Amino acid sequence: MSLTGKILKLRNGIVNFYKYTESIIISFRSIKHLRFRSILTIAVNQTKFTGVDALPLIASIALIIGATVIIQATKNFPKFGIEGFIGNLLVLIIARELGPLITAIIVISRSGSAIAAEIATQKQRKEILSLELIGIDTKLYIVLPRIIASTLSIFSLIIIFDIVAFIGGYMIATTIVYMPISSFFRTLQEAFSFEDLIITLVKSVIYGILIPLISCYYGFMTKSFFEIPIQVSRAVMRTLFIIFIINALISVLFYF
Amino acid sequence: MVLIIFEGRFSTLDSAEIIKFENVSYKLENSNALNDFSFTLNKGENLVIFGPENSGLEIICAITAGLIKVYQGSVNFKGREIKTLDYLDSYSVRKEIGYLQKDYGLISNMTVFENIALPLRYHSHLSGFEIDNLVNNLIEQMNLWHCKDLRPVNLRKSEVLRTAYLRAVSFDPELILVEHSLEGQCQINAQTFLRSLKKESFSGSKSVIFITYYPRLFTDLSDNFIMLFEGNTVFSGNRSDFISTDNEYVRQYLESSLEGPMKIL
Repeated sequence: MSLTGKILKLRNGIVNFYKYTESIIISFRSIKHLRFRSILTIAVNQTKFTGVDALPLIASIALIIGATVIIQATKNFPKFGIEGFIGNLLVLIIARELGPLITAIIVISRSGSAIAAEIATQKQRKEILSLELIGIDTKLYIVLPRIIASTLSIFSLIIIFDIVAFIGGYMIATTIVYMPISSFFRTLQEAFSFEDLIITLVKSVIYGILIPLISCYYGFMTKSFFEIPIQVSRAVMRTLFIIFIINALISVLFYF
Repeated sequence: MVLIIFEGRFSTLDSAEIIKFENVSYKLENSNALNDFSFTLNKGENLVIFGPENSGLEIICAITAGLIKVYQGSVNFKGREIKTLDYLDSYSVRKEIGYLQKDYGLISNMTVFENIALPLRYHSHLSGFEIDNLVNNLIEQMNLWHCKDLRPVNLRKSEVLRTAYLRAVSFDPELILVEHSLEGQCQINAQTFLRSLKKESFSGSKSVIFITYYPRLFTDLSDNFIMLFEGNTVFSGNRSDFISTDNEYVRQYLESSLEGPMKIL
């Protein structure tokens, strides 16, 4: 494909995604007719799948990351007085960057792919059409509970990731260097600001909206059963790409 | 008022107009999908629309449900022009139409009970307890009690059909659209279902439109028949007209003959 063709394809993709997002916004007009009990089960199931079921994986990775950061720090920085900056290091690397990013990557891999595959299959099995024919606004009914579930789950998972990484990091660190618990958590507390919490919240909301939004988009885009794996792959790769960009933008915006 | 005789019972029905197609034409890229099509269906009446593949049968369902809005002519559902309905009214109208799809479209991650309860949970002001009772009653009437907690993948074809039907009528619509829904079913299942449909739907004031390739299945049931070919109406009449007609299109179609005015291939 020529460069012009690629640019045109990109432009069409952006226009389509814009129209899709616009249709989601328009669908909020019917929110007053929506009985929340009808989306409650979806929201609960999605929260369980995205949040609760991902906990063991998130905790394991957080533990490994926390430990790795501490080991690298103790290996490459002077051991004397390390307790003075270990909190800063953990907040800088884990709380601000790795926690939200790794959580988003796991959510995209597990839930984003599942959402895209589920919607694509439902579309091909005419289930989406049947919802429309019942008089259900599918954009609202399908996307809204997933956004709610995803936002709640991502925020909780980031907090849990940070806590496990801090505790895991400390436990590993104590096997290598002596570090009083009080001084470790004091430096951590001093390093962790209210701004960090707000930024975590901002990232959770942005990721929580974008991940299901993009995944649903690729699910809705599917035109045949044959296309399902292709669209799922696109959903994962493009959401990852966008999340990396957004993560960098937020960091530049708030910390630079 | 219209007096109809149905299975030996007499019932009087209000002749209020439910749906009216007036000179509706819809074009696809290369052909007329529907050409100058008209009919009126009153409350309590039913109609069979049949014809060979690519005759425009599916377009009628899509227009009625408001999925297609760009067409010529007018389609009035209970006095409201379908194509001028705004975003919210389009959804509002759909809940007044029970649409039994060709593919049934049951939600695969919901049980039979949840599928039937879905329109009520979404649209109605009933409490959860009232919805449960209503759905349980419907399930019992259609002999689906044994599979109420099963998902569609575990159902037999007739159970899928009955579940989809109950979902379509759970919100008590005035118009039911049955789109090729009996065509994958065995004859006995289809007849059993039609008997239930007569009992449940026709006893009141519901109107039913059957879109089908097999009009004979509905000979005992339907009041009116319309045949389409390549988007044009080639036959329109009541039951006795349909049975005794010498219309060459209908005869060719019913006899599955290759000789006649229709050249399909």
